[in-house]
Amino acid sequence: MGTVDVSEAHDRELVQRLRRGDEDAFRGLFGRYAPAAKALALRVVRQSHLAEEIVQEAFMAVWRNPDGYDSERGSVRSWLMGMVHHRAVDLVRREEAYRRRAEDSIPEAMQEQADHAQDVVEMLGLPEERRIVRAALDELPDEQRDVLLLMYFGGLSQSQVAERSGIPLGTVKSRTLLGMRRMRAALEGVRP
Amino acid sequence: MSLRDHQAIEELLAADALDALDPQDRARLERELAGHGDCEECRRLEVEFRDIAGRLAFTLEPVAAHPTAADRILERARGLPPVPLPPPAAHERPDELARRRGGPGRRVSTLVGVAAAIALLVGAFAVVANRTGGTTVASASPEQTVVRFTPTGSGEGELAMAYTPGQPGAVFWGSGLPDPGEGKAYEIWMITGDHPVSGGCVRPVDGSVAFSVDANVSSADTMAVTAEPGGCPAAPTGVPVLTAPLTA
Repeated sequence: MGTVDVSEAHDRELVQRLRRGDEDAFRGLFGRYAPAAKALALRVVRQSHLAEEIVQEAFMAVWRNPDGYDSERGSVRSWLMGMVHHRAVDLVRREEAYRRRAEDSIPEAMQEQADHAQDVVEMLGLPEERRIVRAALDELPDEQRDVLLLMYFGGLSQSQVAERSGIPLGTVKSRTLLGMRRMRAALEGVRP
Repeated sequence: MSLRDHQAIEELLAADALDALDPQDRARLERELAGHGDCEECRRLEVEFRDIAGRLAFTLEPVAAHPTAADRILERARGLPPVPLPPPAAHERPDELARRRGGPGRRVSTLVGVAAAIALLVGAFAVVANRTGGTTVASASPEQTVVRFTPTGSGEGELAMAYTPGQPGAVFWGSGLPDPGEGKAYEIWMITGDHPVSGGCVRPVDGSVAFSVDANVSSADTMAVTAEPGGCPAAPTGVPVLTAPLTA
């Protein structure tokens, strides 16, 4: 869909090399995206060791089945983050208690480890991506942003969001669609 | 298709990209996509929303992975070759997408030619099977071994596996298997000592399954099946419903 930026082209080349069993390509892809993947998993499952397991399982799947990536279906980074997110959401919906148990300690743990990853991420131009996407999120009406964040980072289904927020399910659905449409409009063609 | 039709599917795809669909809406999405057939607009919406969802992950501050994590993954994977999947169809339905992205059924190849292989193996099995205790172990050919799983106290149904000792790959077939439950699938485990390794997940259709795995089951000393929630977890969360010792 549309143009492929340089970063994405590099990712696709790494996936091509994975298909030939190139371990250095795997290390490259891991180094490039594991910090973001772990941040995502940690945000959803709220326990560092579980987040580590999810990231390892997702990257193991990448290594074992690089053909699972289909360039017609989007970017490598979306594919990777999707795999991490699916696993994390599956886990929290089974083990919701995990999240509650560690809720208080996580922000500190995340901050502590974030410093170590920052150098790598800055080299990859990802801070600019973070700025762009955060700005798009900030532009959303609060009620749309809240719904998207509860679902994506909280691992909640739409009915769970409705239940916890005390708003009708139909409203949650319409806010989801409106929020995603706005994000799409704000981010269309905008890459770091 | 009318604009209204795509609006309905757009709403579902937006939530699906966030992994936020409830089961009934997931089923509705499958019906909608099936109704749309080869739908370029549906593909476009799906890709765009998945891209948005993937980019949300980058709003977080990164968290360092362990410095040796990549090498540990490679170390674990050695001896387990990458699992090839057939090329994707022009447009797959969500259940197929779920399989590809790691949901129930991942690492299980429901191969096109598996039915023929099963027919041959079942035929051979019928001739030479020899029930010993609860588990039937037989040689389908000089190279192949057929193992029948035994239901545990909570299990029912029949499941058999054919493989060639020392070589990767095994074919499974079964019948009379109860529905594992909403959102659940049967997960195959290869257990060596007390270490279970997943062989993938599968959901029965009308109580029957027929699938293959690429793993080398010979390295295990016991095979087991559990009913697991969606996502095909890396470690079993339920008790075995079917087992088969490979040393019988």
